[in-house]
Amino acid sequence: MFLANPDRFLRFTRPLTPVLWAFAGVLLLVGTWLSFAAPEDYQQGDTARIMFVHVPAASVGLMIYAALGVSSFFALVFRHPLADAAARAAALPGAAYTLLALVTGSLWGKPMWGAWWAWGDARLMSVLILFLFYLGYMALRASIDDEAKAARAAAVLGLVGLINLPIVKFSVDWWNTLHQPASLLRADGPAMPAVFLAPLLTMMAAWGVLFLAIWITSIRTEIVRRRVLTLRARRAQEA
Amino acid sequence: MIDLDMGAYAAFVWPAWGISAAVLAALAIRAVVAARRWNAELKQLDTDAPQTRAQAGQSPIAGPK
Repeated sequence: MFLANPDRFLRFTRPLTPVLWAFAGVLLLVGTWLSFAAPEDYQQGDTARIMFVHVPAASVGLMIYAALGVSSFFALVFRHPLADAAARAAALPGAAYTLLALVTGSLWGKPMWGAWWAWGDARLMSVLILFLFYLGYMALRASIDDEAKAARAAAVLGLVGLINLPIVKFSVDWWNTLHQPASLLRADGPAMPAVFLAPLLTMMAAWGVLFLAIWITSIRTEIVRRRVLTLRARRAQEA
Repeated sequence: MIDLDMGAYAAFVWPAWGISAAVLAALAIRAVVAARRWNAELKQLDTDAPQTRAQAGQSPIAGPK
């Protein structure tokens, strides 16, 4: 709640933002190097390298929606404008990450499964629905001129979409899917050799930190944008 | 050493990495450009009428009613 005050948020994040951008850049470089330094997988060959972008896109895309949903809750219940700014700023990167998960998954699926897409697969469908929730959230905000009304309507949609998150996560356990079950978050530890785990975790951290950099920068921009609109409105009233 | 020979899977691996790099770069550039644009707008308004800027600070991110 310390950062709920926009002025405090701006002050606190001012030195943090460039650090996040720099950290994301370093992690991306190291992660990319590790991804191409890893050996071919004995079954998947070089297509295993698609996992180093697919898994971060999917997992961070899912977490971004959790951030959007929680922000929507605070915006709706406590009517806090900063929470609304946070939800709004998360939507576009979340949609982009989820789209990348779908596209890169498809590019892996064709050589490994023999199909670009499987309509009956619960994981694929639930991620597609997640992407549609992101699109719906942005479309709803864009379709209502009154920003306060748009924020409330979008927050309700953002909250409803939270229902989909456990479905995405556990779809591979609840149904028989073409998509493989979890390889990282398992009770008996990651089912992956260290040589693949290192690039994967580095890339997940890189995509996560990059999102934080984009998100915080965008929230700061949203604060400034609303100030500019307020000033313009006052200027117009005074004129 | 780095292995850049994707063999038979080059048509799948490189587009996956290329599209990812392009989208992440676009997101980053968009965020930075928007930040610069709105900060410049605020600075301009601040220069034009600093007293109005101070008033706006009382309701930090509320948009126009």
